[in-house]
Amino acid sequence: MFFDSDLLMSALRALTPILLASLGGAICERAGVFNIGLEGMMLMGCFTAVATSWFTGSPWLGVLAAALASAVYSLILAVGAVTLRGDAVVLGIALNLLAVGLTSFLLRTVFGVQGTFDDPSLAGLPLVGGFSPLAYLAWAAVGVAALMLSRHVWGLRLRGVGEAPDAAATLGVSPVRYQYGAVLVSGVLCGLAGAQLALGNVTLFSENMTAGRGWIAVVAVMLGRALPLGVLLAALLFGLSEAAGFRLQGLGLPQQATDAAPYVVTLGALFLTTARRRRRTPSTSPSAGAVS
Amino acid sequence: MPRRSRRTLPMAAMTVLLVAGATACNAAAKDDASSDASAGSASFTLVTPDAVGQNEFLKLAVTGVKAAAKAHNGTEKVFESTDAASQQQNVQAAVDAKPDVVVLVGFEFADLVAQQAAAHPKQQFLMIDACTTRAIDNVSCGVFREHEGVFLAGAEAGLLSESGKVGAVDVLDTPVFRRFSDPFAAGAQHVAAKTETGTRFVGGQSPFDDSARAKEQANDLLSKGYDQLMAAAAAGNYGVFEAAKAKGAFAYGVDVNQCPSAPGTVVDNVIKRTDIAVEKGVEQVLGGQTGTTTSYGLKEGGISLTGLEKGVDSSQCVIAEHPDVLKKIEALRDQIVSGELTVDDPAAVG
Repeated sequence: MFFDSDLLMSALRALTPILLASLGGAICERAGVFNIGLEGMMLMGCFTAVATSWFTGSPWLGVLAAALASAVYSLILAVGAVTLRGDAVVLGIALNLLAVGLTSFLLRTVFGVQGTFDDPSLAGLPLVGGFSPLAYLAWAAVGVAALMLSRHVWGLRLRGVGEAPDAAATLGVSPVRYQYGAVLVSGVLCGLAGAQLALGNVTLFSENMTAGRGWIAVVAVMLGRALPLGVLLAALLFGLSEAAGFRLQGLGLPQQATDAAPYVVTLGALFLTTARRRRRTPSTSPSAGAVS
Repeated sequence: MPRRSRRTLPMAAMTVLLVAGATACNAAAKDDASSDASAGSASFTLVTPDAVGQNEFLKLAVTGVKAAAKAHNGTEKVFESTDAASQQQNVQAAVDAKPDVVVLVGFEFADLVAQQAAAHPKQQFLMIDACTTRAIDNVSCGVFREHEGVFLAGAEAGLLSESGKVGAVDVLDTPVFRRFSDPFAAGAQHVAAKTETGTRFVGGQSPFDDSARAKEQANDLLSKGYDQLMAAAAAGNYGVFEAAKAKGAFAYGVDVNQCPSAPGTVVDNVIKRTDIAVEKGVEQVLGGQTGTTTSYGLKEGGISLTGLEKGVDSSQCVIAEHPDVLKKIEALRDQIVSGELTVDDPAAVG
């Protein structure tokens, strides 16, 4: 059988890091900060999680440290894009490049190895019902983020800051404070995503181990129109198409074709969603500005 | 080949730029690198692409160059690189020192060597585990026939498999990387004709680094009952080991002894004896046979399995518990060495 529980489990495991990172990206997007540094923030989380777990013996401290480290790292984007009004795209790319170099350098200096740090006694996250606890946290975070954005006063103000910062400012809402908050939250979520990847999906650190997941998260933000539930669906689509791609190889499809599966699915989904949006009146949908 | 985990495209592009810059400088340098092997004491300089550290592949290269120096009553120097920039500097420094042979290990040096060899036609170069894209008179190469070792690992898997299904997680679906998967299946079927085989290729955006993806592909094979997995996925190997360990299955490593990564899970490894390739390559160059490419396989001792080498008992490899299997593998190796049995090379032209 093609679709069985193994395939679903594989898809859900692939989903978790992408979901956490893209939730962070979505929150930034709604606050008006285009965050494409998710990949780099995640990679910082991976390294911090592994290093902390290794030296303290506790994967939980690793998770905590990863969230903190990525939040601190995300301050580069916050200061650069919000305070100094720099280009968030350039800053995001810088974050991604810096993270690859910095973690490789730290891997060499802290662990004295190159490429991969892996040790049988490195403590990973326990599994609860087949998933790491961070997977449940990610699903819960979708609900929390959706409620906060749509119902809570913070969410309303955040969206206001994203759509009309000047109007928000005249109403006494500080755009700077909300944008800082959004970037920091995305840092925390990316740190958790990194910890999930390095202590949950696998238990090791290797250079550039995020392998493009942060970029997939950026696409998930766009595809999901920066809505928490939309982002969840987009990330799920990626997870499923990746897992299905592996399985298709087993049926004899060449790797080059199955590699394309997530991208074909993305293009298809983008095409369908934009076509549907076009058909409706092209008026003031709340996230239209955020998506473009 | 799967050892080349961390090279990304930007790095390659950077190397190319550096090479271009380097040659611009070198054009001015005069090329009077003379080899005076006749003087009795020979000198060798080894340039490594990474720090040697715990990298067994490079440690063996150092052993090889030391042995060559000892055999020729000469001296050796080792220049360890850490990145593309220091690779370039080290090659330059090695050429400036004018040793009898500059030994370089790894594909990273292909472009650098081609440039330097043209600028210094009297300097002899020996490349290991890679070669320049076109043949150059003063560049000799030593490459490996990995498929022979992978075939033996496959035979081990065929003998040890309980489910009758053996598979491989490979980096990319290209002829060169298929050397790590197709012969594995062939080896298993050679000893157990009914063995089912399957391969998954990691692929994706960075196939060499993505251990989480490699682990999921291993899981896909394991969920179908495969119980012996060849891991040829560079950094992804660790993901394959984790997946196999969780399901109580077994895996096979490459290049170096990877058994300590997952004791009780990794059965054996297809290893490259860089020391042998360096020693024999140096002999050839000093003997005047230059500009040739030599391939090293089981016969030359350039490819082997951890289980067939000394120290298997302390290797933490599962195969150490199966001396009966090793006996059969030794017999197979002898057949390949004698030419009685040939292993198909997926990367062969035509």
